[in-house]
Amino acid sequence: MNQDELCATDDSLSRALAGEQAGFTALVRRHQRLVYSLALRMLSDRHKAEDLAQDVFLQLHRSLASIESDAHLSFWLRKVTVNRAIDRLRREPTQETVSLEEGAAIASEADNGDPLLQRRLRELVGALPPAPRAVVVLRYQEDLDPVEIARTLSMSINTVKSHLKRSLASLREQVGPTAAIDPEVRAVSLVSSATKHGSTR
Amino acid sequence: MSNDFDDELRRALKSVDPGEEFARRVVAQIANDAARSRRSRPLRYQWLSAAAAASVVLGFLITHDRQARREQQGLAARNQLLQALRVTGEKLELAYRVVNDETQSTTSNNPGA
Repeated sequence: MNQDELCATDDSLSRALAGEQAGFTALVRRHQRLVYSLALRMLSDRHKAEDLAQDVFLQLHRSLASIESDAHLSFWLRKVTVNRAIDRLRREPTQETVSLEEGAAIASEADNGDPLLQRRLRELVGALPPAPRAVVVLRYQEDLDPVEIARTLSMSINTVKSHLKRSLASLREQVGPTAAIDPEVRAVSLVSSATKHGSTR
Repeated sequence: MSNDFDDELRRALKSVDPGEEFARRVVAQIANDAARSRRSRPLRYQWLSAAAAASVVLGFLITHDRQARREQQGLAARNQLLQALRVTGEKLELAYRVVNDETQSTTSNNPGA
């Protein structure tokens, strides 16, 4: 069941709006994956992501009366989460990377594809500046089109397209053509990258 | 190649669930916040009562001061009026005496008149 189907069949928003505690809990359960994942991809740190996701839901609880529909709720959650993450990244400009344990935990959830390449991609996305990172995460995690991304981030569509184009070019360049083909080269690159991060921590 | 890259990126950024306990922690946090706000509410009302009482006292003092000033002004006006009446009385008395003296002197100079 995808997000839209869930929205269509779930009455947790109306129950939460009526002041029902169980309704709000169901609302959190329904959207926790979206909020937490956005926070995690933006901050590259599980603890910070969980703190931010909790803050977003606390803010939602206070602003619940202003939510008009399920679609508005999803839009609101994405907007607030990404903006809070960008603010936090601007306040604490240290570049975080996913630790080895965190990377392994996240990689274990990948059902197919190349886990090593995916991990490298997550590291590279985590190293992008905040605004382009938000654009890439909303495009490839949330599957939003540039118009929706522009609305969520209050940016022009041209800026969104420009961020996407430059970020993808940068990611492709850093992953490298050989890495996309040869798993051994990729593994060596990953180990050297992990060693470098380990030595800086 | 481009589609493969996009697919790998999609898989790399696949959403992750924070776990079963997450919603419970959020709800507990909301309950804590609500309890804290309930505890801080009496203090807020105390401040409101104190402010209301101070406003009433201040209003009373201002009204009392205005009334006292008005009474003082009334007394001053009354004194001025009495003073003016006294002066007018004295002037009238003086004029009466002058007229009376002149009448008496005219009568004594012309006894046959």
